[in-house]
Amino acid sequence: MTDDATLHIRGVNKTFLRTGKPSVEALRDIDLTVKDGEFVAIVGASGSGKSTLLRIIDGLMPASSGTIAVGSRAVSRPGPDRAMVFQNDSLLPWKTVIENVGYGLAIGGMARAEREAIARRFIELAGLRGFEHHYPHQLSGGMRQRVNVARALAVDPRILLLDEPFAALDAQTREIMQAELLSIWGRQKKTVVLITHQIDEAVFLSDRVVVFSARPGQIRAEIPIDLPRPRDLEVKRSLAFVQLVDEIWKLIEHEVRLGMSLAVD
Amino acid sequence: MTFWQKTYAFLERETRSATLVRVLLSIAFVLIVWELLTATLVTNRLLLVPPQEVFEALMREVRSGAVWTNGLATCLAVGASFPVAVLVGIAGGLLLSSSRLMSLTAGPMLTALYSVPIVALAPLVIAWLGLGFASKFVLVVLIAVFPVLVTTETGLRSTDRGLIDAARSFNASKWQIFTTVTLPYALPFIVSGIRVAWARALVGIVVAEFFGSFAGFGFAILAAGQTFDTATLLAYVMLLGAMGLIGSLVFEAIERRLAPWRQE
Ligand SMILES: Nc1ncnc2c1ncn2[C@@H]1O[C@H](COP(=O)(O)OP(=O)(O)O)[C@@H](O)[C@H]1O
Ligand SMILES: [Mg+2]
Repeated sequence: MTDDATLHIRGVNKTFLRTGKPSVEALRDIDLTVKDGEFVAIVGASGSGKSTLLRIIDGLMPASSGTIAVGSRAVSRPGPDRAMVFQNDSLLPWKTVIENVGYGLAIGGMARAEREAIARRFIELAGLRGFEHHYPHQLSGGMRQRVNVARALAVDPRILLLDEPFAALDAQTREIMQAELLSIWGRQKKTVVLITHQIDEAVFLSDRVVVFSARPGQIRAEIPIDLPRPRDLEVKRSLAFVQLVDEIWKLIEHEVRLGMSLAVD
Repeated sequence: MTFWQKTYAFLERETRSATLVRVLLSIAFVLIVWELLTATLVTNRLLLVPPQEVFEALMREVRSGAVWTNGLATCLAVGASFPVAVLVGIAGGLLLSSSRLMSLTAGPMLTALYSVPIVALAPLVIAWLGLGFASKFVLVVLIAVFPVLVTTETGLRSTDRGLIDAARSFNASKWQIFTTVTLPYALPFIVSGIRVAWARALVGIVVAEFFGSFAGFGFAILAAGQTFDTATLLAYVMLLGAMGLIGSLVFEAIERRLAPWRQE
């Protein structure tokens, strides 16, 4: 039962009630199943409720209605089976890399020696060997985001939730991070839900792209990505890749143009 | 040329030795201007005496033992009251930040008290408590408590939401969030509040000693003023200045230590 890390999202609605202001319907009737070990990417215009859905899955906020379950277990609060990588880097500035990576373990009550050993492993996995005792402000944006990913992985969650993890990075760094995420996922076989507003990122990384409509967020389409794995950056130049990106772009172009500006190549 | 550039680069640095050199430089600058003033513009020795004479007056006070008597009185009063002000301020800040209702209710009152010059209450406090230690103690606590209280509350409230979310995401309890996120985030704020409080406490102690005491730096300054002994008056002012400077440097160093990421 705990073995199955399938994520079940059933009939989730979310309306933000605000005193003195009109309420905001952020999500409507979200039904989505992410299979154990599957990599799903969610794209949609900004404000379409993607972060809200991820926070509900993580247990940071309750849904207005509907249920979240991992395997056969309903979840309503944060737990060790899920870990989140936030968009803006949320590292503790007064802690070193090794302390930050071990933070989730420390919260879980693990002894120092043990959690440092684990933290070291994930620091290595994230390619940050030698930076164990640096503080976040001494690292580049890309390195900080790797620490964020390492911190989430260190608690060994079954489900990894990533909210636009590479949005703040420059194009080159982002490509490197995408490749690294893929190789880590290849080895660790987690269930992954990734939010991004980069369609090419979604197609490159995932098994399936879920397209959200603008507010209230609803699932407009689910596009399976059957590009062969393992994938490298070469894939991005293949015809199949470009066609998939184009297909998804057409689905959200109108809303995206209204809400934000981004370019596809 | 390169020598000056090197010197300049050194002085701009955040190291302890650079700080020390900067402090010494500014003291030297003040002494020179002071010396020039007494030599040229202000020749009336009742108004201003040259640094040399102030130093001699200080030595006189040291030899007569007056500096120690006064220093002890002032340091005892500050040493007893300042820590109390800090503790009460931090406790009050914790209390206020833990309850939205309380903070909303007490907030305007605190802002008012924070901006009112509490030294103005000195005559009243002395009327209540008489001359001596008790009135000094209460006055300094009243003056120093508000900067600590207000910055503690601000620091605890201003914690980055993202950091709290990350802690919650790892299933942290309220207490764990407090000890691992909120409090460390607030510490540099609290220390900067303590730094402000220290400067105010020194003003407070001098005023309290003006109005009602038989010993202390403030008492000595008033006594010297009444006998037109400008040199001795300035000697005690210098001692107070040194206390202020040392305190400020120490708290700044602690602030930097607690929040290294705020630099750069
Ligand atoms: N705590 C909140 N209170 C009120 N409205 C919110 C809150 N969080 C998000 N919203 C609103 O819900 C909508 C969806 O937000 P979000 O999930 O952040 O979208 P996305 O991540 O897709 O850009 C937005 O209109 C946003 O303003
Ligand atoms: Mg978002």
